[in-house]
Amino acid sequence: MNTGLFRPASVAEALALLTRLPDARIIAGGASLVAMINARLADPAALVSLARIEELKDITEAPGGGFRIGAMVRHRDLAAETRFGGTLAVVQMAAAQIANATVRNMGTIGGAVAHADPGLDYPPALVAADAKIEIAAAGGRRQLPAREFFVDWYATALQPGEMVSAVHLPAARPGAGLYHKFARVSGDYATVSVALIMVRDGAAILTRAAVGGCGPAPLMIDEANRLLSGDPSAQDLCRAGDMLQAAADPVDDVRGSAEYRRMLIPRMLARAFDEARACTGATR
Amino acid sequence: MSDTLHVKIKVNDSPVALDVPLTETLLTSLRDRLQLTGAKRGCNQGVCGACTVMLDGVAVRACLSLTANCEGQSVLTIEGAVSDRAIVALQDAFIEAAALQCGFCTPGQLIAARALLEQNSNPTIEDVQKGMSGNLCRCTGYNKIIDAVRTAAQRLQP
Amino acid sequence: MRIEGNFDVAAARDAVYRHITDPGLIARCVPGCESIEQISPTVYRARVSISVGGIKARFNLVVEVTREQPPGLVLSQTRGEEGSRASVLAADNELTLVELDPLTTRVSYASEVSVTGRLGKFALGVMKKKIGAMGQEFADRLREFVQTQAVPPQSPALAPQRAVALQAPLEAASTAAPTAMPPDRIAS
Repeated sequence: MNTGLFRPASVAEALALLTRLPDARIIAGGASLVAMINARLADPAALVSLARIEELKDITEAPGGGFRIGAMVRHRDLAAETRFGGTLAVVQMAAAQIANATVRNMGTIGGAVAHADPGLDYPPALVAADAKIEIAAAGGRRQLPAREFFVDWYATALQPGEMVSAVHLPAARPGAGLYHKFARVSGDYATVSVALIMVRDGAAILTRAAVGGCGPAPLMIDEANRLLSGDPSAQDLCRAGDMLQAAADPVDDVRGSAEYRRMLIPRMLARAFDEARACTGATR
Repeated sequence: MSDTLHVKIKVNDSPVALDVPLTETLLTSLRDRLQLTGAKRGCNQGVCGACTVMLDGVAVRACLSLTANCEGQSVLTIEGAVSDRAIVALQDAFIEAAALQCGFCTPGQLIAARALLEQNSNPTIEDVQKGMSGNLCRCTGYNKIIDAVRTAAQRLQP
Repeated sequence: MRIEGNFDVAAARDAVYRHITDPGLIARCVPGCESIEQISPTVYRARVSISVGGIKARFNLVVEVTREQPPGLVLSQTRGEEGSRASVLAADNELTLVELDPLTTRVSYASEVSVTGRLGKFALGVMKKKIGAMGQEFADRLREFVQTQAVPPQSPALAPQRAVALQAPLEAASTAAPTAMPPDRIAS
């Protein structure tokens, strides 16, 4: 049978189906895929549902202190997660700002990450948090840094026949992790968002900032992070904002013009930075 | 080869068997096949909330649910909740507070409000704003809906 | 949406004009162009596919040249649809060639494009990016050909029996530009 809805009980079975049915699509929570079907942007002849695969549904703590989040974990559960302290709070904050309570009951982190809409909340948060995406293929599993996973507009590093099986978060570091989102209305996709973590490692302060909604993939610049780390002056902060602004490639659409989004970047960066500073108890 | 899938679900406590195309949404099945037109098609993108129903006890968007993917699950629509204690309290409060005008968003509002009160039996104004942010209303300006939900919450206290 | 850009080509204006009005060459320079067919002296039918993430849209287009002023100006209109009118596209295009010096030409293009339907409603922002990128790649391919005379590879999607032949390469000394387009410029 080449059409219909399949409900494999394991990742291996799901992958075998994807290989056997090259036109089949995966359905996780359905929040993104069914919206696309309704918009006439997708018309799959066959669907592989992940609903029965148990290993995808858990959040497990890793021995070193990090977390493995199964691909089918719903936004609702990540939003309510109390174990993501310190820098990992960025992921919990991002989850809590996705859409609304009802959609959070349906959507999953694996589905969101594989969809790679540039206005999504997880991608910049995962890039800032230095998360890794676990990809399952017939030949085995591999992990890719989030930064390398989001490749282009609605495009990821997933090859045909592969699927996202989990997201790995490193151990929480002491400090702050926050996600700021600017949207037209509550629950909308981000016009611009900033995910920022600030690690306090004794006297050293390491800051990472990723901008969402401003290009095909979350935008993070190592040189900007260097400027933001330690004890940046107002000028350093300005330069970091300018760098991110210059590198941004935002769309021009109903949520905001490209020009407006660029204007927002340094302002939102400054706000997130100041709040992280205050959270970590640093003084200017 | 059949173009449709045979799906067995429960709707408002009654078992139902449907033959649906793969990409038919639960919203379409409820409205067009079962004449349960309480859930409304507002945006068909999951944004407006007018299609909100309960699926296995969880509030979901019927427009983003594929019927074929609901095999074995249990759906509750506003029609099936007419004697539900919380829904009755909410409906009374909505009417008293004039928390509806055209009524288009109302079934979704009631289902979402019931789900909110299940999680939080004494919500503040902000709790209601956040908890029901996924249900749009073009008529009332929202304040009356918030008042009605909080009034119903008080009346439902044991 | 307005798509515009310009690029410089190391060739005389007349030569660039002849190339840029050669539908066979244009078909190879427009990324995603799968076929082109001349219907009348001023009307062409073309199929161009655009990929946005997982969505591949095949546009069936009709391009009408509305005004030509060799060797400096071409105005045209594009109308088309994809997916059985799932999206509708309309564009007004302006192409100008300016001589910077006897061996350098600046090509400027500007298109006022509207996309309605599924791609206009849900993917307009990204569509603009894609179309802008297509304009950039078109410029790169055209300039490459004109400057090196290396024929750009025929798109694998161009079916062999519908292959479009390019015009015969110009003599370097040729200065005369055609004032009217020969009616039958495409080998069918």
